[in-house]
Amino acid sequence: MKIALAQISTVLGNTEKNLEKHLKLVKKATAAGADLLVFPELSLTGYNLKDLTTEVALSPASSPMFRKLLEASRRIDLVVGFAEESEHQTGLVYNSAAYLSRGNLVHIHRKVYLPTSGMFEEGRFFARGGEFRTFSTRFARTGLLICRDFLHYGSSYCLMAGGAGLFIIISAAPGRGASETSGQGFETSRMWELMGETISFFSSAVVVYCNRAGYEDGMVFAGGSFVYSPFGKMIARLPYLEESFKILEVDLSEIKKARRSWPFQRDERPELVWRSLERIVRGNHED
Amino acid sequence: MKINPELVTRAITGFIKAETARAGFKKVVLGLSGGLDSTVCACLAVRALGHDKVLALIMPYKNLDEAGVAHAEKVASLLKIKSRKIDISPQIDLYFEKYPTDSQVLKGNKMARERMSILYDFSAREKALILGTSNKTELLIGYGTIHGDMACGINPMGDLYKTQVRELGRYLQIPEEILKKKPTAGLWPGQTDEEEIGLSYEELDQILYRLVDLRQSAEEIIRSGFEEKKVKRIVEMIKRSEFKRRMPPIVKISNRTVGHDFLYPYDWDK
Repeated sequence: MKIALAQISTVLGNTEKNLEKHLKLVKKATAAGADLLVFPELSLTGYNLKDLTTEVALSPASSPMFRKLLEASRRIDLVVGFAEESEHQTGLVYNSAAYLSRGNLVHIHRKVYLPTSGMFEEGRFFARGGEFRTFSTRFARTGLLICRDFLHYGSSYCLMAGGAGLFIIISAAPGRGASETSGQGFETSRMWELMGETISFFSSAVVVYCNRAGYEDGMVFAGGSFVYSPFGKMIARLPYLEESFKILEVDLSEIKKARRSWPFQRDERPELVWRSLERIVRGNHED
Repeated sequence: MKINPELVTRAITGFIKAETARAGFKKVVLGLSGGLDSTVCACLAVRALGHDKVLALIMPYKNLDEAGVAHAEKVASLLKIKSRKIDISPQIDLYFEKYPTDSQVLKGNKMARERMSILYDFSAREKALILGTSNKTELLIGYGTIHGDMACGINPMGDLYKTQVRELGRYLQIPEEILKKKPTAGLWPGQTDEEEIGLSYEELDQILYRLVDLRQSAEEIIRSGFEEKKVKRIVEMIKRSEFKRRMPPIVKISNRTVGHDFLYPYDWDK
């Protein structure tokens, strides 16, 4: 399959301008024959929203902007990031990722781990998502994660246990650490790559990571989006720091081959992990 | 604490470029003293926007820092940037004739604010964004004049310690004499920062780096061999200067208050 990565910068809080950019890239990716186009975290809104969070939030069921994206998804599968106004829990806004295909909303993942320390304050403005669930796409069993979700390895475990052969992580990760040992990118870029390499190999899955570029209030989004093969090999990495658009050929038949070489998934025991976790969680509660 | 100068240059020049455009400007303006920080900043601005988009203001008071002025003129000509020399002596003298003082610090602060005032005036005249030249060392210990040299549109070097700015300057190949000269705030003839602060920048940055970046406690730093008196003094300087790094607090009365719970991003719709 051909996956297009849109490592873009956005206009903070201006969903219309950002939508325009999305639709332009949809055209570009479609013309190049891509099957799936992935945008970064909060690609429709920008990241550092603060009080704008509730103002730019939209409800996929009723938003005219979302309708345009659904329309665009008739030609190419899309993953977009947005602030989601909850339909059922009035007033709540989630940091969400949507998978759109053939005019349908296939799946929404709401970010579970909201970084709220140091330079991050997501927990102040967003409600927390409640689950990790895999879903079927026309390519593979698929899982969606948003940025920090991927750094908690329990999230990837759930996707793996749910049978995902395609992990898609959308991100708005700022770069930090520019010491002499940092190489071409920030020190934190290595952290994402380390996880990408590990999770792709030990889950025998394709890992697609799409990060942002650009600046917001002094934050430097690190770029460096990447794709790892189910054998843990880096298929490609986009440049650090700058905006970039790239279409990559990914061989999905490798998922099967990797799982035959290393049957981690066959031998996995989620029910045993579940029981052990249950004991641990109960034990912690009793303390 | 050595930096990767190539990556740092990329990040900073990208920042200058993005923020200048977002602010609706094509040009930038900065005060060029001929010292290390403003020279490095001018260099980065030229890399980000091109030499024809950078305006340098050289703003001497009498002959307080003649070497600085000569260096600033040299940098402007090396970088092929437009520069203007504006003598701030008349207005400073006029003020202190009326309100005399012997305090060099008061005089220095007044000069810093006069330069700030001229920079903001030229920012509006020339439609140019003001680049600040404060470094992380100065910001942390509060070695700067509030609403003076600390005032700016954006601060490209605010996350680099003084010794890291020098490293960057070496990478950017700024003139050797500027790299080597003793840093001065130009408060009085022959004044040097290190004498006034009472520590060398090397030592100061080592301690700050451990306190701030490595999150070590003062006790840990002292145990690792730094002089107790110096470490404690630095901790005190950081504490006492927090007001220079913040917007002034607003007393909260209503349900929604600027700075407390009316919170919008700087780059809003940009």
